[in-house]
Amino acid sequence: MARVVGGIGASHAPSMEHIYDAGEEVRESDEWQPLFGPFKQVADWLEELKPDRLVVVYNDHMDQFFLDAYPTFALGVAETYPVADEGFGARPFPPLPGDAKLGWHIARSLVADEFDITICQDLEVDHGVISPLPMVDFSEGEGGWKIPIVPLAVNVILHPLPSPLRCWKLGRALRRAIYSFEDDLRVVVVGTGGLSHQLTGPRFGQVTPDWDQEFMRLLAEEPESLTRYTYKQLIELGGTESVEVVNWLAMRGALPDDARPLVTAYYAHRIMGYGLQTFEVAA
Amino acid sequence: MELTQEYLARLDAVQPKELPGDLDLFDEATATRGIRLNKAAYSLKDEHQRDLFAKDEEAWMAQFGLTDEEQDLVRGRDWIGLWRSGMSIYVMVKLSGVTDTPLPEIGKQMKESGGGANG
Ligand SMILES: [Fe+2]
Repeated sequence: MARVVGGIGASHAPSMEHIYDAGEEVRESDEWQPLFGPFKQVADWLEELKPDRLVVVYNDHMDQFFLDAYPTFALGVAETYPVADEGFGARPFPPLPGDAKLGWHIARSLVADEFDITICQDLEVDHGVISPLPMVDFSEGEGGWKIPIVPLAVNVILHPLPSPLRCWKLGRALRRAIYSFEDDLRVVVVGTGGLSHQLTGPRFGQVTPDWDQEFMRLLAEEPESLTRYTYKQLIELGGTESVEVVNWLAMRGALPDDARPLVTAYYAHRIMGYGLQTFEVAA
Repeated sequence: MELTQEYLARLDAVQPKELPGDLDLFDEATATRGIRLNKAAYSLKDEHQRDLFAKDEEAWMAQFGLTDEEQDLVRGRDWIGLWRSGMSIYVMVKLSGVTDTPLPEIGKQMKESGGGANG
């Protein structure tokens, strides 16, 4: 039987890629240490926890999925996930290892639970996955990804979006899917995106740290209260693009109620509210 | 067929309405308005399309059935016009790449735009 041994919520952003790719000195600079320092803590925690798989709830940014056929939920069932070219050439990372068997099992279980996902045998992952992942799952020296992933994409860009309640329930269904898998795997569930940011209109660049920190508090202490927020509220509180936080909510839904926050870090910088939060699950 | 209050409330909540004028979202109106421009900018994921854009922007544009107004917006690097015409920020970023426009420059124009991309 597989089980969920932890959870991670992490922002994703092209800026995180630029800083990572600029090398260790920049990552450890005064400007970026508040973001990359906590990521190092999370990497150390994962190193100790030694999960066998990461299920990554994220969203694409029109790099794999486009408006010709936009999936509300899409699940990877591939053995590898190449890095998408977002319009500037793909970052030079090898394809991420997957787990097709676990992917297909999750597909069956989600459908049994009435989550009729789009099933993807070919999926290129964009910064929704690979802006935070190298910080916790990549060894530069050995040049490789460490933990196979199963990506689960949520539509957070083309309204109507699946409701926050629906995303929470997706997490609950994901939890059942993991616990009903026959192989003895230890799984960490990751949710990426947010926190506050606004990329269009007169509020371009607006960040709302009070709301971001309240969001992380609620996610830890009373996550189901977040299912009662409407998208209108989330947009007004955190910005049009901040609705990605429902990926975190799905992650939290996959954890037991009594999961405890371990690392909680927040850094409002330039045009992003960067959040990072890990959850520990009792054995 | 009886439509319950519970159902009608859910239906009502699914589409955010009456956002403040300085906030927008990508929905039926935007996706419909922007269908050609989004297709065009999305194509720039492909490096051959980026090469064509660099070599012959007019030939690149001719592939997507853009209206005359839309073509002028691309030629003019009119980011606010493109936004109001329904171009998603996520493909606008790809167009900003091939035109060497840094995101802060688009941001500056966004801040001064006074909004106007809703509905
Ligand atoms: Fe995003």
